[in-house]
Amino acid sequence: MRLDTNVNEGTLGFQIAPMIDVVFVIMLFFMVMAGAVKVENELNTQLPGTASTSTSTDFVDEQIITISDTGEIALNDEAFDSPSSKDLPQLKATLMRLKQNADAAKTPAVVTIISDEQAKYSRTIDVLDALAVAKIDNVTFTVNEEE
Amino acid sequence: MIDVLLTILVFFMTITSAQVLKVDKTIQLPVAKDAQKKDNSRAEAIVNVRWKNKQAQFVFNDRVFPNAPAMVEPLKTARITGEKKVTGTANPTFRAVIRGDRDVPALYVSQAMNACGEAGITDISFSAVNKE
Repeated sequence: MRLDTNVNEGTLGFQIAPMIDVVFVIMLFFMVMAGAVKVENELNTQLPGTASTSTSTDFVDEQIITISDTGEIALNDEAFDSPSSKDLPQLKATLMRLKQNADAAKTPAVVTIISDEQAKYSRTIDVLDALAVAKIDNVTFTVNEEE
Repeated sequence: MIDVLLTILVFFMTITSAQVLKVDKTIQLPVAKDAQKKDNSRAEAIVNVRWKNKQAQFVFNDRVFPNAPAMVEPLKTARITGEKKVTGTANPTFRAVIRGDRDVPALYVSQAMNACGEAGITDISFSAVNKE
């Protein structure tokens, strides 16, 4: 009996079906990753500068938001939302009303955030996020330093 | 069929790799869902405020500073160099981006802001991520 010595007869050519399977799996991976990826956002603020004395300056109503070390937030000494609330719905609604009133009166809405020095930075970001929703961009941030 | 699949694959690979955060891995950025997407075309100095073992560390240009005032001179140099890139509308001012850890006390972020102010940078942005 003669053995079949032609080894090339059994090899297959390029197979498209397994390649499609592999491409599908890789695509699925990147599709899932694209949904989970974190994007860096920014919240802008401006440090107070010097004003020219040759021009008249309008005095504007300044709103003061204070953040305590426990995360309690107060707007003009009136407490808003609970310290555990990250979304700050009450503060957002009030700030939006303030912005509307300022726009109607054609005056800039100016907000100063005064944070306790031991308050977590993430709480400041929560407040800045609420200000971004209300489209208030004249924001300054300072820390209430202990004596 | 395979052509279409490969095109879609390349598309997803591109958007995934382009959006990967280029931030200090030791910093857990706070979440701000409603903030605007970071404009990477701006001339900027990036200041990282780490919170390690309940101690703050300031990092600028891959150099670790024990306190914020020590960053003033390097920030000043960066501003002078960076202001040459400032051009009209697309890049109106040289700015500082503060990437602070979410647990860092506000005091240290304020110190980083003061250092930027002393270096003559008044346009300051805070960095955050869009989701947990």
